Amino acid sequence: MTDFFIVKWIFAFLPILTVLVLMIFKNWSGSRAGAAGWVVSLITATLVFGAHPKLIAYSQMKGVLLSLNVLYIIWTALLLYNVVNETGAIKAIGIGIQKFSGDKSIQILIFGWIFASFLQGVAGYGVPIAVVAPLLVGLGFSPVIAVAVPAIGHSWSVTFGSMGASFQALMAVSGLEASYLAPWSATLLGITTFLCGIFAVHVYGGWKMVKHSLTAILIIGTAMAGTQYALAVSGMWTIGGFGASLAGLCSGLVVAKLKIYNQTPPSQIQSEMGLWWALSAYFILIVIVSSGVMIPSVKAFLGQVKLTFTFPEIVSLKGWVVKAGKGQAINVFGHGGALLLYSSIISFFVYRSKDFYKPHALKAILQETVKSGVPTSLGIVSMVCFAMIMDHCQMIYILAEGISRAFGSIYPLVSPWIGLLGAFMTGSNTNSNVVFGVLQQETAQLAGLSAALMLAAQTTGGALGSMIAPAKILVGCSTVGLSGKEGPVLKATLRYGLVITGIIGIITLLACFIG
Amino acid sequence: MNNFLRQHSGKLKTTALILMLLIPFLLYAAALHGSAFQLKLFLALMTGNMLFLMKKG
Repeated sequence: MTDFFIVKWIFAFLPILTVLVLMIFKNWSGSRAGAAGWVVSLITATLVFGAHPKLIAYSQMKGVLLSLNVLYIIWTALLLYNVVNETGAIKAIGIGIQKFSGDKSIQILIFGWIFASFLQGVAGYGVPIAVVAPLLVGLGFSPVIAVAVPAIGHSWSVTFGSMGASFQALMAVSGLEASYLAPWSATLLGITTFLCGIFAVHVYGGWKMVKHSLTAILIIGTAMAGTQYALAVSGMWTIGGFGASLAGLCSGLVVAKLKIYNQTPPSQIQSEMGLWWALSAYFILIVIVSSGVMIPSVKAFLGQVKLTFTFPEIVSLKGWVVKAGKGQAINVFGHGGALLLYSSIISFFVYRSKDFYKPHALKAILQETVKSGVPTSLGIVSMVCFAMIMDHCQMIYILAEGISRAFGSIYPLVSPWIGLLGAFMTGSNTNSNVVFGVLQQETAQLAGLSAALMLAAQTTGGALGSMIAPAKILVGCSTVGLSGKEGPVLKATLRYGLVITGIIGIITLLACFIG
Repeated sequence: MNNFLRQHSGKLKTTALILMLLIPFLLYAAALHGSAFQLKLFLALMTGNMLFLMKKG
């Protein structure tokens, strides 16, 4: 590498370094750090990489189209979650599950691994830790364990959870189809499923409890990983995490009845709402998403209106060419977000017809959705927009070339760590995929590696970052009275996050060598 | 000024998000029609919005 290339690489890395430093060392939120990253990328792109106003303008428009695709899912997923939560259904689901076993290891698996993943499947954005942690404290676990267990347990389901928002972001930035990306992503995340289950138990009871719960982990893990794989590769990645956790719930309830896990009497607490009514919104969601994805006539009918923009060829002042073409199209009525919206509206009327809501519930639902949606959206849009500036000025290409030259054939070992770093700094698998997705793709192409495998390693690392992201740990700690005492939780989750990421790196490397 | 920003933090963040999603459409239109003044104006607005977010986001 020449000295000049190293200088250029350092300048190209500056926006990402800015976000990292501000989030890790200065505790800035994702939206503040993202905005700072945007300003730094604008300055370096203009002064060093030959950006001009037109280039910035087109890159920002592409950035907004990418963001809208992701925000569509995020906002409607939050809406559905609040439609359900306002009835008290989430609490009812928790109580319903408790009745199945008094065994501590099974409680950890059902709440911290399966139920947390179910919540990730339908909401995400810190909700799994925030909801499960107080439930575990109520079952007698210490606050640190109560936060650490769902943080570790839910990570495997992040990519295909939240109605596939992170996977959607990966597809959007790479421009690759779900059918190409899904098999490897679902495979690596499938392996992670078992590891998350093992370590969620280990953080509480050590290897002795892992040994006791191994049968349950194998049965439930196979059900969840298998279902996630089947849904992802069959085009239903939107409900990959959700469907997998439902399969996990069913198998978990069966496993809880096994003799070895049934020696302590289960809880007798009663809930105002029955389990089936509590889950009804999610049954509606399954029906709507299945119809919208699997019935060709419904899919064609909903896919008639697409919002799309065309872009001319863009050349930077340094001669970097971005080809002319269409930006990310938004399928207005057939998008995953639209399907979530239909489910939210129908579920609201179903619950209202049964009088599950208090007066003014709709206002509360909308207020909660906006309250959670705005900060998340600000972080995502600012990060997507700065990633687009970097992409249009060769900055990402230079970063990728540098990494490819430095690591060469062992790059696959590093790949998930980049995803982990992105999620750690931004608190989001989606943001990590947006910031580093193109970099991973271009590095893979330069090194002659499979882009699908490298992007799978990226999103798996990004999903694992959820267990160590300060942004999520903070949310969990705030619900169990640990605000300001997040250190012990982070210390507990960090070692597991690093071990699982290391294992995924080795598997990715082996997969590259095997072919 | 700081009091005002603190009191209206929620609404200002929502406004910042709307601007962040809206300005690129204006930038796109200005770039397509070759209007250099509008392009610079909207870029300045976008930068101002990001600087606000850096301060209060």
